[in-house]
Amino acid sequence: MYKYVLRRIFLAVPVLLLSSLIVFGLMRVMPGDALTVLMGESGNIGEKELAKVRKDLRLDLPYYQQYGLWLWQMVSLRPGDSLLTGEPIAVSLGKAIPVTLELAALAMILGLALAIPIGVLSATRQDTASDYAGRVVAVSGLSFPDFWLGTLVITFAAIWFHWIPPIGYTSLWDSPWRNLQQFLLPAAVLGFRLSAATMRMTRSTVLEVLREDYVRTAWAKGLGGRIVVYKHALKNALIPVVTVVGGQLGVLLAGAVVIETIFALPGMGRLTVEAIQYRDYPVVQTNVMLVAAILVSLNLAVDLTYAWLDPRIRYR
Amino acid sequence: MPTQGPKGMHRGVSRRQFLRRAGGTAVGLGALALSRPPRAAAQSTSPYPEWIPASTKTAKRGGTLTRASAWDPPVLDPRLTQSVGLYQFAGLTSNRLVRYVFPEEASGPVDMALKGDLAESWTSSPDYRIWTFKLRQGVKWQNVAPLNGREFTAADVKYCFEAFAKEGVQTFNFKEIEGIETPDKYTVRLHMQTPNVFVAHSLAEPIAVIFPKEILEEDGDLKKRQIGTGPYILKEHTRKVRVVLQRNPDYWDKGRPYVDEYIILITPDDATRKAAFRTKQADFIWTASPSEVEALRKTNPDLVAQSYHNTWVPWGVAMAQDKPPFNDVRVRRAFAMAIDRQKQVDTVYEGHGILGWGVPYIYYQDKRPTAEQFGPWWQYKPAEAKKLLAEAGHPNGFSTTLFYYEYFPQMTSQVQLVQAELKKNLNVDVKITKMDYTTYYGRYADLKWEGLCWGFQSGHAVGVDERTYQYMHSKSTKNFFRVNDPQIDELTVKLRQTPDPKEQRVITKKIVDREYDQVARLWMPYDNGFIVAQPHMRNHASIALRRTDGYGSPHITRVWLDK
Repeated sequence: MYKYVLRRIFLAVPVLLLSSLIVFGLMRVMPGDALTVLMGESGNIGEKELAKVRKDLRLDLPYYQQYGLWLWQMVSLRPGDSLLTGEPIAVSLGKAIPVTLELAALAMILGLALAIPIGVLSATRQDTASDYAGRVVAVSGLSFPDFWLGTLVITFAAIWFHWIPPIGYTSLWDSPWRNLQQFLLPAAVLGFRLSAATMRMTRSTVLEVLREDYVRTAWAKGLGGRIVVYKHALKNALIPVVTVVGGQLGVLLAGAVVIETIFALPGMGRLTVEAIQYRDYPVVQTNVMLVAAILVSLNLAVDLTYAWLDPRIRYR
Repeated sequence: MPTQGPKGMHRGVSRRQFLRRAGGTAVGLGALALSRPPRAAAQSTSPYPEWIPASTKTAKRGGTLTRASAWDPPVLDPRLTQSVGLYQFAGLTSNRLVRYVFPEEASGPVDMALKGDLAESWTSSPDYRIWTFKLRQGVKWQNVAPLNGREFTAADVKYCFEAFAKEGVQTFNFKEIEGIETPDKYTVRLHMQTPNVFVAHSLAEPIAVIFPKEILEEDGDLKKRQIGTGPYILKEHTRKVRVVLQRNPDYWDKGRPYVDEYIILITPDDATRKAAFRTKQADFIWTASPSEVEALRKTNPDLVAQSYHNTWVPWGVAMAQDKPPFNDVRVRRAFAMAIDRQKQVDTVYEGHGILGWGVPYIYYQDKRPTAEQFGPWWQYKPAEAKKLLAEAGHPNGFSTTLFYYEYFPQMTSQVQLVQAELKKNLNVDVKITKMDYTTYYGRYADLKWEGLCWGFQSGHAVGVDERTYQYMHSKSTKNFFRVNDPQIDELTVKLRQTPDPKEQRVITKKIVDREYDQVARLWMPYDNGFIVAQPHMRNHASIALRRTDGYGSPHITRVWLDK
């Protein structure tokens, strides 16, 4: 087990290195830079002045040196400062990460709370009205884009209920109730999207497991329906579901960009999008690397979950 | 169960109502997905007033004013940015030497009279090279460390203007000051490089705010702290969340401002800003079209909308007129005649837009220009356009490129209409490239692009000198449209040396006429828009060139809440 984990961590290094090269290269391929945006708009900036500021920010160094410098900053966990705001990136991330983390966690909880029961219900009542309703919900979740659903939800909440979440962000520790109001609706939208694939996967795997011999034996032994479905069938059906959920975390982070914009939440998504727009290289690079590291870790965590769900699985 | 509003307001929605509406929402979502109501047909006039006069009631003190804003300032340093994100509140934390009238003092939306801000009076030498400003006495910096309410003096003005000239985005303007004298604590004397009658106007621009030396010297920049002499103290700026401004109790203009707290909620999404207005989380917002105001009126029937009429447009087709084929005036004229601008107004802007011109008309005439006034080349005459292009040596048209950044969705429709009409009327193939802002701006500002571009002139400073000399003189760094016309050069220089307002209007008209005749900049229609406010807001009207929600933010000093 430990060897397996170590090997996976070791294998993550080239993945992260490749990610770093791609994001660094892509940012440099894009025309324009932060200074052009920040200072050039007035039309008052001369080339000499721009060159001086570029030098101050080390943007005049050859690319390989800029890359080396940034890599060293990442390894030493000092990602530097934003070119745009001058704020240390660690501080920006310190503010943005809790927002996205809370949104993602809440969305995941809501998504799973919706997906698993409906998926099981669809499977146990195959081809009934409940099954069709569940499938409609799942297909809707797959079909509605985040931006569309988010915009409709906020507009209809305002028109019909004269209420929308309080604009802005209040920390969970400062005011849990206000925080919950701000996060519930965006998390529900994001969670609904997430639940769709999980719902469909739950339905099909539970259907498959319910046809297994051991389930038939359980029924034959006279076990109750809930015991059979939730204790014997569902646990074994969950491995593919966990894989799907793990794979959706990337989708969740992408969806967070849109949802954070619509609901005005200052999370990682908005931080990254703004940094891309302004060519704030260090912020984009650090954010992308952080997301890459999170995804690699989550994939590892998902793989390790298999053994908990199915004790027959061994890691070598 | 009543829901708690943002400012302690209770809006009752019973549980029964809630459940009924929740059920309805699901149906409504589906219904909206299937059928979207058609946009309002083009309309030529707006049912909303162009001007909201000042309230005649005695102003009340107190309350919190809230606005949902699309803009978030990248930094707080006025030397480094001219973005509206910063100036939507910088004019409230800081003052300028001179200012334009507040709506409360204005006779109408085009009243552009100057008033003293930190300067009580100002005079110039007969040759307009030396400008003397007498400062208001007893003005104090805000009582915030490290200023701690120390007195504001002439030395502060000298330091600030020299810092603006030294580095940053305002260097070009402030370098026109040759030297600054401070004969006493309350007198500032500016020696200009060249005669310029518009110095006071330039210093009244929203970007000419005066900052203290202490912050710049302690921090090395002004990116994080903003302390001024203004009516509001910056209490909080949390990027991507909000800006909180608190009334300055020691403000030199006693009794003002009226509102205790002004909160700007950073809300990037348009639908969310509208939802914030509907639910009274925002006291005022900007909307583009009449149909949007009508939609808001359905939930907020008592809203107050001001129909804002632009006096100029920021966008137009920029042509690489220093290179073929656009160095031939006949090609530029043919393009102008081949594009139906009125159609854009009627369709893209639902009739509530303007045809487009670059110099605010209020600087040369009283009434909004009519289509005829632009002259023969600006009338939609496709057959003549085709003939003229043939005379220029392109009987079969040609291929060119156009790049743009979509500042707002309507712009893409305009770009596509232009493309279609150039193809249909002139057989000119335009290959369109839509870019992200940084790519667009980088290419646009380096002035080396070829073909066409959807060009713009920024809106941070809109004095007549800015709109003529700064944007059209061939040697100006802001000459993005690459105008290179000796007559325009001569006229723009002459204008800044002409003190008589009547004569200024004559010269400005000549510049504009020349611009139209040469099709130096091919202006495109733009929306007018609306400032939409809750019924309790008073004295919030926008004046020409100064929207209360943008660069006209100092207007908030005189806003009060009638509730």
